[in-house]
Amino acid sequence: MPPKLATRFLRWFCNPSLIEDVEGDLSELYAEHENKNPLKAKIKYYLDVLLLFRPGIIKNFEIKNGLMNTAMIKNYLKIALRNALRYKGFTALNLLGLVVGLVSSMLILMWVNDEVQVDKFHENGDRIYQVFRNMKQSGGMVNTVWSIPKPAADLLREEYPEVDEVAQLSWQMEIEFEKGDDFWEEDGFYATPNFLTLFSFELLEGDVKTALDDLGAIVISRSLAEKQFGSDWKAKAVGSSIKIDGEGEAIVTGVFEDIGSNSSLQFDWLMPAQLYFNQNDWVDDWGNGSFRIYFTLRDEADLPVVEKRMYDEIITHAAGQSNSGEEYLIAHKFQDYYLYSNFENGVVDGGRIEYVRIMTVVAIFILLIACINFMNLATARSGRRSKEIGLRKVMGAHKSSISLQFFVESILLSFLAAILSIFFVWLLLPYFNQLVDRQLFIDFSQPNTWYFLGAITFGVGFFSGLYPAVLLPTFNIIRSLKGAVKQSSGAAYFRKGLVVFQFAISTLLIVGTAVIYSQLEFVLNKNLGLDKENLIAVRLGGNFGERLNTYRTEIEKIPEVKAMAASSGNPISYGRSTSSVRWEGMSEEGYEINVLLTDEKFVQTMGMEIQRGRDFNEQLTDSTSFIINEVLAELMGFDDPINKDLSFWGINGKVVGVVKNFHMRTLHEPIAPLIISCIAPSRTNMAMVRIQGEPNRALEAIAEVNQALDPDQEFDYEFVDEVYAESYESEMTVSALVKIFASISIFISCLGLFGLSAFTAEQRSKEIGVRKVHGASVKQLVLLLSKDYGMLMIFAFIVAVPFGYYFGNSWLEGFEFRTSLSPVLFIIAGAGTFAIGALTVGIKSLQAAKVNPVNILKDE
Amino acid sequence: MNKYSIGEFEEVVMLTVAVLYENAYGISIKEEIENRLERKVSVGAMRTALNRLEKKGYLDSEFGEATAVRGGKRKRYFKVTPLGKKVLEQVMQTRKQLWDSIPSVAFDFKFG
Repeated sequence: MPPKLATRFLRWFCNPSLIEDVEGDLSELYAEHENKNPLKAKIKYYLDVLLLFRPGIIKNFEIKNGLMNTAMIKNYLKIALRNALRYKGFTALNLLGLVVGLVSSMLILMWVNDEVQVDKFHENGDRIYQVFRNMKQSGGMVNTVWSIPKPAADLLREEYPEVDEVAQLSWQMEIEFEKGDDFWEEDGFYATPNFLTLFSFELLEGDVKTALDDLGAIVISRSLAEKQFGSDWKAKAVGSSIKIDGEGEAIVTGVFEDIGSNSSLQFDWLMPAQLYFNQNDWVDDWGNGSFRIYFTLRDEADLPVVEKRMYDEIITHAAGQSNSGEEYLIAHKFQDYYLYSNFENGVVDGGRIEYVRIMTVVAIFILLIACINFMNLATARSGRRSKEIGLRKVMGAHKSSISLQFFVESILLSFLAAILSIFFVWLLLPYFNQLVDRQLFIDFSQPNTWYFLGAITFGVGFFSGLYPAVLLPTFNIIRSLKGAVKQSSGAAYFRKGLVVFQFAISTLLIVGTAVIYSQLEFVLNKNLGLDKENLIAVRLGGNFGERLNTYRTEIEKIPEVKAMAASSGNPISYGRSTSSVRWEGMSEEGYEINVLLTDEKFVQTMGMEIQRGRDFNEQLTDSTSFIINEVLAELMGFDDPINKDLSFWGINGKVVGVVKNFHMRTLHEPIAPLIISCIAPSRTNMAMVRIQGEPNRALEAIAEVNQALDPDQEFDYEFVDEVYAESYESEMTVSALVKIFASISIFISCLGLFGLSAFTAEQRSKEIGVRKVHGASVKQLVLLLSKDYGMLMIFAFIVAVPFGYYFGNSWLEGFEFRTSLSPVLFIIAGAGTFAIGALTVGIKSLQAAKVNPVNILKDE
Repeated sequence: MNKYSIGEFEEVVMLTVAVLYENAYGISIKEEIENRLERKVSVGAMRTALNRLEKKGYLDSEFGEATAVRGGKRKRYFKVTPLGKKVLEQVMQTRKQLWDSIPSVAFDFKFG
């Protein structure tokens, strides 16, 4: 049997002269599909019925039975308008709440939509996978990285029949471009030729198939082309040669459209990967992770087969090599990577998606709060409309038509609010874009925008009208005509329940803000195990190594420089590791252990603390002395690791000291084991300069030294504390967003509360007057009027706490190092909300209590 | 396309009705179009077209037999009216004239 609901719907709307054979046709189709797949048949049936709901098939309702009376709708609109204008204050309050709610949720949902769209524009999107490498760490942890040994790509390409195309992409690199006297650097990748066909980056000039074939080729972005060739780049770019990195030359073979923020891969140039491979033999080794690997499958269903087969390719091929570790290959869908990029023990575990979810929930909450305002005010004020409702009923209005009236009113209001909101969104978007660092815009040419706006207008209108439309038509005719509708206590409780709900949500959002904020504070102020303030990391060019001592002498002459150390990377974001480490009595081989190459002054300059043993000493020959961190010391398992033998990269040495743990990655991750070695200061590429006094002056002086020693190299530096802060960018964005929108939710809730307390004060005005005459003080009256709402807010707080605790904790669990959820936080959030709410109610109550009783009572 | 105007889909529907001759009812027309033209046709789109064509007087319809699989509902059989035929002919004629007026070199792609 075809679905009954759909059939009923069809019979309801379908033109009677058509119904018989249309229904027959549908049942025939249904019977035919049902044999193959009953569920699909049902879905198709529904779909067909919905598609039949179109002009030409729908019967003419108006003439046939007069259900939709346009005259009445006109009347509803007119009355709605008159009511809105009569109670301007309430209308404004309602509208303000709705507009603020709509604007906030629109902005948030635009951001969410933008996040979700990232990397979704590739035509092959659902077939593209990226290979990741799970490296087993000490203590059973698994570290997941995207740098994969190059032979794995060749293997996938040649021996996996299920794999269609394989593309490789380097890590982000910088090369220098020049035009005349102008030099600048741009980021880009080395990529295999089919990178352009596998992904769908738009090529404006050149051929996607061949652009990266030639070793001397370069494909550049439109803005780079404009910079290089001027506005008529279209004619000039392709085929021209440009200078790169001072000495080399490359022929432009293509120009691609600038990469928008909807791509997680950002680049301004591409050069053939082969060029890099030819110059770097090490990539041919199974033991060395190199370029990223992307591949497409011929058939998605083959994924398990491919995954299973590639899983231990590294183990098989790298067996017996000194640098081999316990490493496994896994595949992850490329278009999911942006949102799901966290790996926990080698398995995908969230990522940005958490923030997307948080913000979606916030948007929904804010909309809810705004809708509740409308409901509460409408029902609370229904007494004013009771005569109208009574009269309509006397004149023969059906309950359903009174419901319709209130729906019309709320939809009208939400429609008005939506129009205003679009305007405000348009106004606020530039600032919001700045905040989230995006280029969001309202695209009216997209049908989806209209669907969304339509849905949100009707959704909000319908939802906020729902309760009034159900409640108001139930009023007793005689009572309502007398103007003495006593609302049932149920209605009052419901309203109170809604207020509790509103404030619980607001409290929850504020708790959330406080949790995120305190964790960020914790992160930014955490003692990392080194002193990150007043520390500059200066990148040194390739030919600096030999002249390091000259450089040091010059740098140390600068009065603003306290000390300088050389290092093979910025220690707070470091990940160069090896699995070639061996020590005596090592229980299990293949630990990935980080290696940091430094000079003798490193530990001291960084402000690290030696926990036992000693620091490097320039007086002693320390080239085979190693300092290890506490994690590695524990891993090695000796009571005293000092003077124990340790080797890596085949170099044998001794442990001379243990440095206190310091964080080499974000606080999301645990601290990894580390060896610090000053074996080859000449192989370092970064100078860590500790400064004092005016940072700008120090920078200038350092830049001068760099310029003098290596005039070709651009001065490239970063402040370590800034780099650190930047690595929490997404947390900070979300923190800023949640902060703003939590305040907004409070604001909207208070608007509603303000309206409600105004209403209560008005209803109880006679009581207030009588009490005043009998000597009640203003203070007593304010308390009397406010205490109900105070109770509600306390109740809301009690409801919010467990949820806040649960969600706060589960968010914090994503951090390996985290602050604890202190009760103070909840108390502050609760007290804050309470204070704001109490103030709102108090102001209104005070106003009511101050009125001269004569004015109220004289009419009686 | 002067006196009578019909859309491309309407033309297809009418031609299919003519092709099916005595067996032209909802489902058979839909399936015929789907098979011949290899495109999906929704019941809604087709039904609207049939309805419109009938209103214009290009198609005529009558009820046929009822079957169990149709839940006891009768089939509505369509046929092309003389006016419908005239319209179809006119459409063909217009097309033909256009084809005839194409200079022979226009489609000569040998050197293009």
